[in-house]
Amino acid sequence: MDLFHNLIFGFSVALSWQNLFYCFLGCLLGTLIGVLPGIGPLATIAMLMPITFTISPVGALIMLAGIYYGAQYGGSTTSILVNLPGETSSVITCIDGYQMARQGKAGPALAIAAIGSFFAGTVCTLVIALFGPPIAEMALKFASPEYFSLMMMGLIVAAVLAPGDMVKSLAMVFLGLLIGCVGTDVDSGWRRFSFDIIELTDGIGFVVIAIGVFALGEIVSNLGDPEERTVFTSKVGSLFPSKDQVKRSAGPIVRGTVLGAFFGVLPGTGPAIASFSSYMVEKKMAKDPSRFGNGAIEGVAGPEAANNADAQCKFIPMLTLGIPASGTMALMLGALMIHGIAPGPTVMTQRPDLFWGLIVSMWIGNLMLVILNLPLIGLWVSLLKVPYRLLFPAIMTFSCIGIYSLNNSPFELYLTAFFGLLGFLWMKLECSPVPLMLGFVLGPMMEENLRRAMLISRGDPTVFLTRPLSLVFVIITVLILVVMALPVLKKRRGVITG
Amino acid sequence: MKSVKAVAAIVVLLLVAGVASAQNYPTKPVRMIVPFAPGGASDVVARILSPVLGKELGQTILVDNRSGASGNIGVAAAAQAPADGYTILLGNIGTMAINPGLFPKFNVSPVRDFVAVTQVVDVPTALAVHPSVPVKNVKEFIEYAKARPGKLNFGTAGPGSNGRLEMEMFMRAAGIDLVQIPYKGGAGAAAIGLLGGEVHCAFVTLASIMTHVNAGKVKVLAVAAPHRIPTLPDVPYFPEIGYKGMKSGSWQGVYAPKGTPDAIVKKLHAVFVKVMADPGVVKRLQDSGAEVVTSKSPAEFAEFMKEENDKWTKVIKEVGVVME
Repeated sequence: MDLFHNLIFGFSVALSWQNLFYCFLGCLLGTLIGVLPGIGPLATIAMLMPITFTISPVGALIMLAGIYYGAQYGGSTTSILVNLPGETSSVITCIDGYQMARQGKAGPALAIAAIGSFFAGTVCTLVIALFGPPIAEMALKFASPEYFSLMMMGLIVAAVLAPGDMVKSLAMVFLGLLIGCVGTDVDSGWRRFSFDIIELTDGIGFVVIAIGVFALGEIVSNLGDPEERTVFTSKVGSLFPSKDQVKRSAGPIVRGTVLGAFFGVLPGTGPAIASFSSYMVEKKMAKDPSRFGNGAIEGVAGPEAANNADAQCKFIPMLTLGIPASGTMALMLGALMIHGIAPGPTVMTQRPDLFWGLIVSMWIGNLMLVILNLPLIGLWVSLLKVPYRLLFPAIMTFSCIGIYSLNNSPFELYLTAFFGLLGFLWMKLECSPVPLMLGFVLGPMMEENLRRAMLISRGDPTVFLTRPLSLVFVIITVLILVVMALPVLKKRRGVITG
Repeated sequence: MKSVKAVAAIVVLLLVAGVASAQNYPTKPVRMIVPFAPGGASDVVARILSPVLGKELGQTILVDNRSGASGNIGVAAAAQAPADGYTILLGNIGTMAINPGLFPKFNVSPVRDFVAVTQVVDVPTALAVHPSVPVKNVKEFIEYAKARPGKLNFGTAGPGSNGRLEMEMFMRAAGIDLVQIPYKGGAGAAAIGLLGGEVHCAFVTLASIMTHVNAGKVKVLAVAAPHRIPTLPDVPYFPEIGYKGMKSGSWQGVYAPKGTPDAIVKKLHAVFVKVMADPGVVKRLQDSGAEVVTSKSPAEFAEFMKEENDKWTKVIKEVGVVME
């Protein structure tokens, strides 16, 4: 049994005391930067890279990887507690996680987030060990037509399934698409909606909008509500999830892991898509979708699992093909190359200690994170008893530091404030910002892939139907539309004949 | 009167301090502006350099990432910084030689507003093709492309990118016509497109594809460098096969704001030359795909930059790229 031997070998590497220490250090640092908004794993790893020159390549990669997936854990904490997304990928967790916290269920939400992440991390470790290289080869089959069809499917499904006022959520999707248009046009290099403001030429950052709309918007609207100004919530409730909560989370965690692994392997998808789609799926599968947005634990469990699975599976194309699926992965690739290791098809045979040591260390790291995070839950929850007059300025300060540290740009602070106002406005108008975020994330990617597909096919739109994978996504999209439209049509007919 | 005296005293103090600072420079941390985000090629070079540079100067080097607008935001920040040697800029071929042609309205000019200190690295770029293109060398590739005008695609990191302009220069010299397919997300995304066979060819940095060359997933036909590359001894460099202008890849160099005292510029040049000879720095840069290249003097680097500016501005005009 090759795999067995390899894993044993991996354990022997990862369990050496130095590597255990680096793993722990990475996880701890990752949790910290995950909790702080703005300061992400990318900047942290870039700053720490020179330090890793002096340690062994295996230890360096183990520590940098720990920072990376540790940040995914930490990012959910502030999302749940104070509606402040610590990382891009934890925006979705804000929606139901924060509502749970408001209802005094912050403990169970944090615990389920940690458990879901751990489950996803374990499964993905196995997936990488078992199928890493073949999966990566398959991911290369995804070209622009496939990406476009896949994203179109996602957007249409999301728009169709959105609850409440259909017109409002469509309007928010389109607004998101429009905001996504700001920046430099990829084909011509012309600037769109940049109003001659140099900072807008690269578009608007996801974190700027997320922190503005979610965290600042929430603070403003809370201040406008004179009733609940003293403390966040007086009832803290149980710290750990009940049997029923665990039972309801099991399915979402498994589905979220599968979705996250799928998107993680594809190099052309960003960090938020996995958790977005998991949320949409859970909402669709729920018996009572109206609970979503009001503190449904499924809305925390699924996306958190998805986002950790996505983060971990991004290692597959990086290690086995030398293809960086994200900025952070590009940095890890750079770090490896500086150590004289060229990731690629040969890394498994040339540096088995690195490959298997890293994989096993990721599992150990995930375990460490659960052990690190579960006892902290009590501490985090007690934070909620801090009076608003102290908590709000603290959140504002951390948000500002975080945003400024993204690009050292004061302009992004003004932009965040602007989106904070918009967030407040949308809250008053009862427009959910989630469809907006979805449009904002998917729009630019859809546009890029659509235009590239059309450029390569020299303007022939049948390219989306002649490529098998793309065709599958188109067929699924049409089927979903038909299924959704049928009951409505039937009802109409009923009205007419009756 | 008192206030006038006080002002005069302060002015004198400042002048004295200014002279003193040129002699004992540096007496406080030096900020190195990198006009790109953490993790980019420039950032990696800065992170490798800064610890050794800090040791040489006896001061901390603060790497300040000011990314945005193709590097123009960082360049503007450096141009506006006090010219006292405590702010330096790590510019590259894009920000210092290509952007002036692309953004004629941008009010900072690399040639006019900066003092060149020294080049630090050259990252060789390569004309790479997907294995499905049945050619073995540049000559065969040109024949293949001539038989299929407007049918082959090349990947780039955007219309104003280094890789696009290099390809345009090559296309003009070779008399062939390929179609540009731009990718968002930098040169890495274009390399993925090449690897997956979505585009037929691209100008990419050797570092980004080396492992795939070894695995036979990408073919390198020629490199833009002043000599053959040790790791690819059988691959010709462009000047060798008649393309004289294509002798440098994606270079990076150090600049100080215009007006920085000569003594400080000289000291910086000497220190950088020393740092770039450090075996650890050379090794790390090589492993990350960059070659150490230093200028003999600040004047030599200024001359090189002027040449590069003229070369790229000409290509940009011929192609007609306007980024407004």
